[in-house]
Amino acid sequence: MALNEATPMRADFHDELERLQQLVDDEGKLVAQALRSATRALVLQDSELAEEVIAFDDVVDLRYLGIEEGVQSLLARQTPVAVDLRLVLAIVHVNLHLERMADLCVTVAKLTRLTDGLAVDAQVVRALGEMGARADEMIAVAMSSFQERDIAAAESLVELDDLIDAANRRLVRRLLERGADPGAREWGMRMIVVSRCLERVGDHAVDIGERTAYLVTGEFREFGDASHPPA
Amino acid sequence: MKTRSETSLTPARDAAPSEGLLSQPAALDVLFEQRSPAEAEPLEPVLEARAVTVRYGAAVAVSDVSLDVHRNRVTAFIGPSGCGKTTLLRTFNRMNDLVPGAVVSGRVAYHGVDVNGAGVDPIEVRRRIGMVFQRPNPFPKSVFDNVAFGLRLHGLKDDLSGRVEEALRRAALWDEVKDRLGKNALGLSGGQQQRLCIARALAVEPDLLLMDEPASALDPISTTRIEDLLRELRSQVTIVIVTHNMQQAARVADLTAFFSVEPTGGDEHERGGVLIEYGPTEQLFTRPADRRTEDYVTGRFG
Repeated sequence: MALNEATPMRADFHDELERLQQLVDDEGKLVAQALRSATRALVLQDSELAEEVIAFDDVVDLRYLGIEEGVQSLLARQTPVAVDLRLVLAIVHVNLHLERMADLCVTVAKLTRLTDGLAVDAQVVRALGEMGARADEMIAVAMSSFQERDIAAAESLVELDDLIDAANRRLVRRLLERGADPGAREWGMRMIVVSRCLERVGDHAVDIGERTAYLVTGEFREFGDASHPPA
Repeated sequence: MKTRSETSLTPARDAAPSEGLLSQPAALDVLFEQRSPAEAEPLEPVLEARAVTVRYGAAVAVSDVSLDVHRNRVTAFIGPSGCGKTTLLRTFNRMNDLVPGAVVSGRVAYHGVDVNGAGVDPIEVRRRIGMVFQRPNPFPKSVFDNVAFGLRLHGLKDDLSGRVEEALRRAALWDEVKDRLGKNALGLSGGQQQRLCIARALAVEPDLLLMDEPASALDPISTTRIEDLLRELRSQVTIVIVTHNMQQAARVADLTAFFSVEPTGGDEHERGGVLIEYGPTEQLFTRPADRRTEDYVTGRFG
């Protein structure tokens, strides 16, 4: 579009962009809520709450689609450039990462329901509860760094992610050592997947941090390099 | 996710073509090359402006601008009204000579020759550095005579009709006017008139073409044709375009210069046009280096 001096401020456009950012922030809160409930259902063996988490995913999906429609409409009409363009692209990515996190919460909830009645290892359950709390903290840090355009906070996600990764590895080791009792083995295998889901939530939070850095600097850069670990 | 420079999946440019996953980065290379073939060629300055300042009486129109115009590139000048972009453009072929009270200082060198130097003929400067204006301004003559005008003026009279046809073809107008060459040019549509003016400028074979908002008085379809034409012409002629339409600059220009109105002297009230940022168009529209550029291209200026 022609931008001439007669219409100096693209006020409507920037309001619209701000609304989109607000919708993503809210989506982050919804996902954190899903994660907390999924973790709680897991720790308390609460199948009813697990059902609620599964149903709640529709709320997140609706928000996800609404944001995507908003982005499509904005791109079609407003031709964002420079920092505005980078924000729109970051919103596309962050939106997808949040939606994926919510799906991981659904998987945790489904596994909680599936293992209803099986004997649990209280120490493992406690460790999974801590991983859930860490993942929740990572969502909070990722979303506030995105809102505040805070690269330092975004980069701190790498350290938090290292902790959750290490917890995942410890849990997998412990679960693999479980006895030959079929019930205990099934529970253990399900919990390996739960642990993996919580660990993946952390990875998505790091990806949101990377998008924050891209938004601020205009250069995409991976914080950590999982494919090429340091020697 | 990997950035391309880090990934081992990226084959070398000259690697043998491969199937599947490995071939995909190569396909991307092709895509980018097609988008911008000229970027492969090194930059070669055609015109060098050094410390150019233009005053109209006491007012500074444009202050201390230094930049190079590069061969076979489209360069866009953007910026708010009063930023001096048109004034600067007009120094390149001495159009400001015709403005009473205009004083140009600094140096404009075309292929190393100072266009304002002693013994330089402004008519010859304007043959080599052509100009197209905002409003189509054909002469009230036939289509043919409009294009032939400059050729006759410069004594290029051999094969006149061949040269006229060639210029009209280069301006993507030939098919529309070949059966009405004797008709008055004022009967053409606005978009056709503007392409006629481009043909008139091209006829005398300039190697630098200056365009001052060439599409701002045209409808969207005519504008698209002019923009397509610029992309085609740049392989033959270097183009500088002043435009108020930032998306037009984003679409057609290889390089973009952003000008703004800034204080130019010790006195806060003394303001004039200043060059803020000049670089690849894509960079200006994705990650500009200067905050003022960012504010302008995103519409956050008031």
